[in-house]
Amino acid sequence: MPATDLLQGTLDLLILRTLALESMHGWGIAQRIQQVSNDALQIGQGSLYPALHRLEYKGWIQAEWGASENNRKAKYYSLTKTGQKQLQAELEDWGRISTAIALVLK
Amino acid sequence: MLKEWLTRLRFLISPIPTHEIDDELQFHIEQQAQEYIAAGMTPQEARRKAVLAFGGIESARAQSHEQRPSFFLETLLQDVSYALRQLRQSRGFTVTAVLTLALGIGANAAIFTLVNAVLLKDLPVVDPETLVRVGNTNECCVNWGANNDNSYSLFATDDWHHLQKNVPEFEELAAMQSGIGQITARRDKTQESARSVRSEFVSGNYFRTFGLKPQIGRLFTDEDNVEGAPFVAVMSYDMWQNNYAGDPSVVGSTFWVNTKAVTITGIAPKGFYGDRLSSTPPDFYLPIESMPVLANAQHVHIPDRRWLYLIGRVKPGVAMASLQAKITELVRQSFAATPIFSDAEGKRAVAKAKAVLSPAGAGIQDMQDSYGSKLKLLMWISGLVLLIACANIANLLLVRGMNRQAEMSVRTALGAMRARIVRQLLTESLVLSIISGMTGLVVAYAGTRMLLAMAFPGAEDVPIDASPSGVVLAFAFGVSVLTGILFGLTPAWITSKANPTDALRAGTRTTTSGASLLQRSLIVLQSALALVLLVGAGMFIQSLNKLRNIDLKLNSANRYILHFDPQAAGYSPAQVEALYRTIEERFHTIPGVQKAGISAYTPMEANNWGDGVQIQGQPNLHTWASWVRGNTEYFDSVGTHVLMGRGFTTHDTSTSLAVAVVNQSFVKKFFKPGENPIGRRFGSPGPVSSGDFEIVGVVEDTAYNSATWKDHAMYFIPMTQRIPESARQRPIEQDTGLYAGAIVIQTERPMDNMQSLARQTLAAINPNLSIVKFQTFDEQIADLFTQDRMITRLMILFSILALLLAALGLYGVTSYTVARRTPEIGIRMALGANRGSVVGMIMRGTMLQTAIGLCLIGIPVAWFCVRYIQSQLYETKGMSLAILAIATLTLAAAAAVAGLVPAQRAASTNPSQALRTE
Repeated sequence: MPATDLLQGTLDLLILRTLALESMHGWGIAQRIQQVSNDALQIGQGSLYPALHRLEYKGWIQAEWGASENNRKAKYYSLTKTGQKQLQAELEDWGRISTAIALVLK
Repeated sequence: MLKEWLTRLRFLISPIPTHEIDDELQFHIEQQAQEYIAAGMTPQEARRKAVLAFGGIESARAQSHEQRPSFFLETLLQDVSYALRQLRQSRGFTVTAVLTLALGIGANAAIFTLVNAVLLKDLPVVDPETLVRVGNTNECCVNWGANNDNSYSLFATDDWHHLQKNVPEFEELAAMQSGIGQITARRDKTQESARSVRSEFVSGNYFRTFGLKPQIGRLFTDEDNVEGAPFVAVMSYDMWQNNYAGDPSVVGSTFWVNTKAVTITGIAPKGFYGDRLSSTPPDFYLPIESMPVLANAQHVHIPDRRWLYLIGRVKPGVAMASLQAKITELVRQSFAATPIFSDAEGKRAVAKAKAVLSPAGAGIQDMQDSYGSKLKLLMWISGLVLLIACANIANLLLVRGMNRQAEMSVRTALGAMRARIVRQLLTESLVLSIISGMTGLVVAYAGTRMLLAMAFPGAEDVPIDASPSGVVLAFAFGVSVLTGILFGLTPAWITSKANPTDALRAGTRTTTSGASLLQRSLIVLQSALALVLLVGAGMFIQSLNKLRNIDLKLNSANRYILHFDPQAAGYSPAQVEALYRTIEERFHTIPGVQKAGISAYTPMEANNWGDGVQIQGQPNLHTWASWVRGNTEYFDSVGTHVLMGRGFTTHDTSTSLAVAVVNQSFVKKFFKPGENPIGRRFGSPGPVSSGDFEIVGVVEDTAYNSATWKDHAMYFIPMTQRIPESARQRPIEQDTGLYAGAIVIQTERPMDNMQSLARQTLAAINPNLSIVKFQTFDEQIADLFTQDRMITRLMILFSILALLLAALGLYGVTSYTVARRTPEIGIRMALGANRGSVVGMIMRGTMLQTAIGLCLIGIPVAWFCVRYIQSQLYETKGMSLAILAIATLTLAAAAAVAGLVPAQRAASTNPSQALRTE
């Protein structure tokens, strides 16, 4: 399965961006990122869940147990206010860096 | 925002339940499986693939877990509870280790508490660091004339006024009585009987200089210290609490102090124990100017009688060196104005006189000076004990670490990380050392109380707190934790390095894999240190024995010494002759009393009166001798033998010719060998006064003041005879030298009720005659050996402790070696070795270590250290071979016992069993 290695720290950004639309459980987040990136980005479970717990501890996302689509108990993550601010900040950062890299590569 | 913080807090405190993570991961896998089923797989196949696709569930779970801060706390709790379980499991090890460390730490904390309280603590006053004392010695009481070293710490009332007037660098300069005295006080309009209390006469600005506020009432002002002012006193807080239950009406009430009415103006603040650390802090503070009347102390207004200590508060920014020069100059001026320094000799002394300024934040450093060197020695000794204790702990932990190698190997094999194992072992030794630290505090508290009781026997008001201060707490825990880390890490590191396959492979059969070199070195070190302490204890025992066996040339059997104060009871010097006669008569009516001596002071008490001596017809040698007044039965009552001539008789009265009895040292000092002193005359230097006394007898050198004061020239004069020189100078009413201080009672058999009999007898003569102090003669003598006894006892205690610890360490290591070598011993015995040779083999190893410790390190170090304690010892030069031999043998015997027990165990190894256990 071809997958692009994620840059350090990008996983957090991807998770925050994904959660900005709606609250989601872990599996959903992984699926969403894979779909949106046309299968280019595959998130390993081994890094997804520790990342979710880390973000939760940092207070950027919060978790809540709810019922899933097929009526199973699942843990739903959503963005907090600090998380939204953080997302904004990271998006700006990302924009700056990617523009810069693009300039160099041109 | 608040909610987020709450979440964080919740995470910190409550660990995330493991099942939550499991549930979450499980959900993920099921979702994946659903996908696969939708793609057409069978449920089993889908599930298997989902699990595979997920990868390491364990690691995802563990890593998610570690994202939480509570993870650290959780593992810590785990480690601690595991450590406690481990310690509970091996009780022998735990108890030994905790006791070892607790004793080591406790002993150190106790000594440190004392050092902290005695040597490092300031007076409980405002800004102690700006207090400066004029003078730096413990010169005491009342003195006159030139000092041999030209350094002066005592000053006359006039000197103080002169300095106060001319040194504006002092914000305040307070003066205080150097020798704290006794007064008799009784509260007016109450039933209480007169009691003897400690008093200190101080200047009006005394409390102001220290920046003190009264507990209640008011403290002194300068107006209180004026001649003719109404008599006032300030009572100490402790006296107020202990005797008057903090009754506020004490302030303003009248007390009869030495039969004169004195008003209490206030109570000194709580915790203030005067201007010096002492086991006998003052109960009453009185103004200096009331002293001539209250205590009939003439020296207050005699310009050349020096009796005051001076402590001042310097203004900010004053340079000490120039201030000292200025004060020295002013002191010379003041001295030069007095008659005693007016002759040529005196002028020379004044030109050389100096006053050294010293920091006075801790007050007058009497106790510090007398205990300093001993406390420092004790600190070294307890430090050595701690070192031995640490070596022991290190050994115990090492042995334990080795024994658990197999356990660690299994854990490593099961995937535990090295860091995790080290952390676990470290936690264990830290838990151990914290438990020991806490036990050590208990030991420290009890130890300090014991030390205080040893240092100040019988004293109730020592202003030293036995409970360890914050500094001591920190010190004790610091030491224990450091020991834990240091000696926990080594075995942890060694064990964690173990290759699991090596350790798990059973049946390592070796002949030499006993204790490691580190362990052996620790044993060698321990026995060496223990030897040093044993030798030290031996030296102190020897010194104390020598001290005790000094011939004091007195007889203390069935003798009781009663201190009293006729002056405080209201007698004038003209009335004492009759009083003494009554006392003699009344005491002789008590059945069992053989002799009743009356004297100014007695042998072996801390008191000394001295004066210059010139033999009539000979040049003034500028030397002096101590003198004591005594009645006719005095020499017999203390057991001093008359060698030539006669003692005092009933014919030596206030109206007969002045006579004196001198001691042998006096004869040696002032007469040529073979000269007959009887009939010769002497007195204080001067053409007239040198003929004051006729020598009528010579007595042996009974020890006064201390057992070690050799060649102490003394003379004795009759209790009721005035010194002709003072009779020429002042009326009898001012001759305070006539006051007796002690009654020595000799009985035919021990009489336990002597104290109450004496009290009744005195009270029957005059209710104001109270007992200041009552002791047997033996108790009084023992008091002077308190310090020597304390340090000797502590040395013995510490060396026994060291011996025990060293033996314990040796036992531990030998046991361990034996356990490790059981298979080897089994083979040896199977091959025909008998019990004797096995015991011999084990003992050889044990004794070799001890021998190395003793011969190569212990004896040389002990030899080297003896010079440092020599100054504390009486007439001891260098090392005593007998003591060295005894100490070495004791240690060798202890080592032999410690080795023999495991050696016997080794010898009872059953060969077939030993070989099978592998």
